[in-house]
Amino acid sequence: MTPEELTPDSPFTLPGFFDALSDGRLVAAVCSCGEVLVPPRTACYACGGRDLELEDQPRTGEIYSYTEVRTAPPAFEDDAPYTVAVVELDSGARLLGRVDADYDAVAIGDDVELRVRDPTEAEREIALSHEQDWPIHVFETV
Amino acid sequence: MTDPVIVSVGSSPVGRSELTGRDLFSVALGEAFEDLPAPAEVVEALYVGNQSETYEHQIMQGTLMAEWAGLRNVPAERVEGCAAAGALALKHAVEDVRRGTHDAVLACGVEKMTAGGTGGATDALSAAFDRALEQRSGVTAPSQYALLAQRYLHEYEATEEDLARIAVKNHANAASNPRAQFQSAVDVDTVLGSDYVAPPLKLFDCAPVGDAAATVLVATPDVADDLRSSDDRVRVTGAGSAANNLSVAERNMTFPEGANVAAERAYDQAGIDPVDVDVAEVHDAFTICEALLAEAAGFAPRGRGVESALTPTERSAGWTDVRMSTSGGLKARGHPIGATGILQAIEAYEQLTGQAGDRQVDGADTALLMNEGGVADAVTVSHVVET
Ligand SMILES: [Zn+2]
Repeated sequence: MTPEELTPDSPFTLPGFFDALSDGRLVAAVCSCGEVLVPPRTACYACGGRDLELEDQPRTGEIYSYTEVRTAPPAFEDDAPYTVAVVELDSGARLLGRVDADYDAVAIGDDVELRVRDPTEAEREIALSHEQDWPIHVFETV
Repeated sequence: MTDPVIVSVGSSPVGRSELTGRDLFSVALGEAFEDLPAPAEVVEALYVGNQSETYEHQIMQGTLMAEWAGLRNVPAERVEGCAAAGALALKHAVEDVRRGTHDAVLACGVEKMTAGGTGGATDALSAAFDRALEQRSGVTAPSQYALLAQRYLHEYEATEEDLARIAVKNHANAASNPRAQFQSAVDVDTVLGSDYVAPPLKLFDCAPVGDAAATVLVATPDVADDLRSSDDRVRVTGAGSAANNLSVAERNMTFPEGANVAAERAYDQAGIDPVDVDVAEVHDAFTICEALLAEAAGFAPRGRGVESALTPTERSAGWTDVRMSTSGGLKARGHPIGATGILQAIEAYEQLTGQAGDRQVDGADTALLMNEGGVADAVTVSHVVET
């Protein structure tokens, strides 16, 4: 990875990662130590190494922990209550996101799949200029 | 090497206030320097822990608080690490004095977090989460900690009632702390009967929003000798900090490894072990945190941190006799974000100098402080304080 390669087209940068996600590709940086980093980073927090390769990842995983947001940030008030979870992907990487299911319908260990959607009008309103076209990721129970 | 000492402390009341951040700081400073020469005659530098400029639309807190203390042209800066900002300010002050850079440094914390209402606080605190995936998902501070609690209760033999007992203990402690935001005891049924904020966490599992400022004067023993009798000071013998990942999902969610590293560093510098600690102020922003930090600090075996509210004889084997959150903790003493780490140091000062009134732990001579910023151990700052 050279500095010249870190362009907005590269999934090693957030614009590149979200571009790929818009196309349905979940890209991770996989370290030579085995750690899977989502979104990709150019250095590995597990081993400190910088020998990382971009790889498309399966979008399936399971609920590691979950809860329900009852008092939402002002921008998301109309959505509340909604379910959020930490999902462990089949690759072992964990990330947080909303779950498209009621809190009572979710349990630890449930299978989920990551989907993406365009931001809503309300979400675009609070998005920074460089985030306008970034998709929102959501986990769906399967 | 001689250890830096805390020679004087002061705080404003904790809670919703009509005063602004700088006014609250004046109140804290007034207490700390009540029977001392003016700050300008003593203080060589100043650090201010402050979480967010969004509350008062004000940065430059270092310059502002130096000005309000009557200090001109001294080194002064704001330090930021979300809710760990106060302990970071303390750590900078302690290290300056330990290295001989300065002989007396003021460590401060200030937050006017009610300025924007509940929405303003929710929004300002969410800035501590990863922007790319977390903030855009609409997660909140209570829901982040609920994710930790849910997993902990799933993996271990622990219940919501265990968490409730931590809240009950900390409210009882706060009831005998004149600095506390909450001055009334609650019972387990009240905690369990309160509304879910983010299940399994309920309203009474959560620290309140509040305003406050707090300050401690850190100095060499020589400077301290000029200011006060040696009975009224405590030594800061260890300090350690550690940043872990910003996203809690990428960390160990049932054992805060960053907090463990920070505590071990502070123990190593002080040359003590967890079993030596008599009182501990930990970052109980939510009840689950006290359980997790009891384990990270080496006080409790894995999965048994929820027994922090039990008396030493009632706790499982492997627990130390430590008393946790004697101030009432963040949960009930209050959690005015940037001021919290300094308020923890004030409790250690009062316990170790025998000034803790009805909540005094007999014979307390060693304290551990653990102040976290971001969700759980995104950054942790630990100090060991001794008589
Ligand atoms: Zn690695």
